[in-house]
Amino acid sequence: MSSLEQRLQALGRELAFPPEPDLAVRPRSASRPFPWRWVALAAAVVALAAAFAVPSARTSILRFFHIEGATVERVETLPAAQERSSAGGLGRRVSLEVAERSLGFRLLLPPLESKPPAYVLDGVLATVILRVDGHPALLSEYAARDFALLKKSVGEKTLVEPVRVAGERGLWVEGAPHTLTYFDESGQFQERTVKIRGNVLLWTHGPVTVRLEGKLSKAQALRAARRIR
Amino acid sequence: MVDRPLDEAELVERARHGDLEAWETLVRTYQGIAFRTAYLLAGNAADAEEAAQDGFLKAQRALGRFRRGAALRPWLLRIVANEARNRRRSAGRRERLVLRAAVESRLGDAVPSPEAALVAREDQERLLAAVERLPDGHRDAIACRYFLELSEEETAAALGVRRGTVKSRLARSLARLRESLEDEA
Repeated sequence: MSSLEQRLQALGRELAFPPEPDLAVRPRSASRPFPWRWVALAAAVVALAAAFAVPSARTSILRFFHIEGATVERVETLPAAQERSSAGGLGRRVSLEVAERSLGFRLLLPPLESKPPAYVLDGVLATVILRVDGHPALLSEYAARDFALLKKSVGEKTLVEPVRVAGERGLWVEGAPHTLTYFDESGQFQERTVKIRGNVLLWTHGPVTVRLEGKLSKAQALRAARRIR
Repeated sequence: MVDRPLDEAELVERARHGDLEAWETLVRTYQGIAFRTAYLLAGNAADAEEAAQDGFLKAQRALGRFRRGAALRPWLLRIVANEARNRRRSAGRRERLVLRAAVESRLGDAVPSPEAALVAREDQERLLAAVERLPDGHRDAIACRYFLELSEEETAAALGVRRGTVKSRLARSLARLRESLEDEA
């Protein structure tokens, strides 16, 4: 190392840096600009859950589960949910072909006698309504990006279980309300407490995150998921 | 059974499976260097803190994609530095770097005369000013490699460039600094 390099190194040790913040204990809320397109996706996620409620206070996170495109956190206590009716919001009803062109990937589906319509929101989230063992179910798909778009918080009474779907990582979420975190119109982190009407299976298939929601048992959901390709 | 500290790979594996305590241990291990890197790149403390916070949040969420056996520090620095550089691009002027107000003499250090201390201080300030006059990419390379003492690989990760680019930027920067200091002398 040359004398100039040594002087630079010594200089670095004399620099006045601001006090180092403790990043491990910060609440995960921050304001930041965010692309508008995710807002619609977040709204769709909430619409899928079929109910809104009041913003909540953050509670201690006990454990988290993560797959690409989605994170589920277990927290000590969930805030009280205030239900209100859904106004739909799955997006524009289009043919499967149009939906796939819009999203830029092939939608994963179970074998079907005829092609169902798809509901597309802002070109990023597609939902298809299926019947699984006689139960209506929502199959939603989006391309996972660098970090989770969908974050759920669950209480002690909700079962969250890592699962495998065709060799890919997944999460089974059963029972009790979930809290979703998503970006609202102003680009802020917002929390809404939503009551899921059924159970949810989340899994990844390559770059796509898939969500199956309905009044299904784990076995039913996993059986259905294995046929979705 | 004997308790022992968990090594980094074990902590990463635990964090990957949802162990928040393991993740917090990793954050606390690297938050210092991550914050200082963000500060030098973003140019102010507020943006640096936000960049580091958001960077760690993204890293936590991306842990599933972190390659097993890889070094965690360059990976974290890449994510945090990317956040910091984005803020630097969107923010205004960078705060001027300053030296610590007083140098505490440590036990056993030779205590310099007041005159020698003054000269040394002026030399440091001249060198710092010369670094600050470098173009941004060169100044950042010097800051990461020498001020933060990052490896070339980590400097490349922090700046989002190839290692060869780091080498050439450092070589050109050192040459310019020598010229600048000679001119002043």
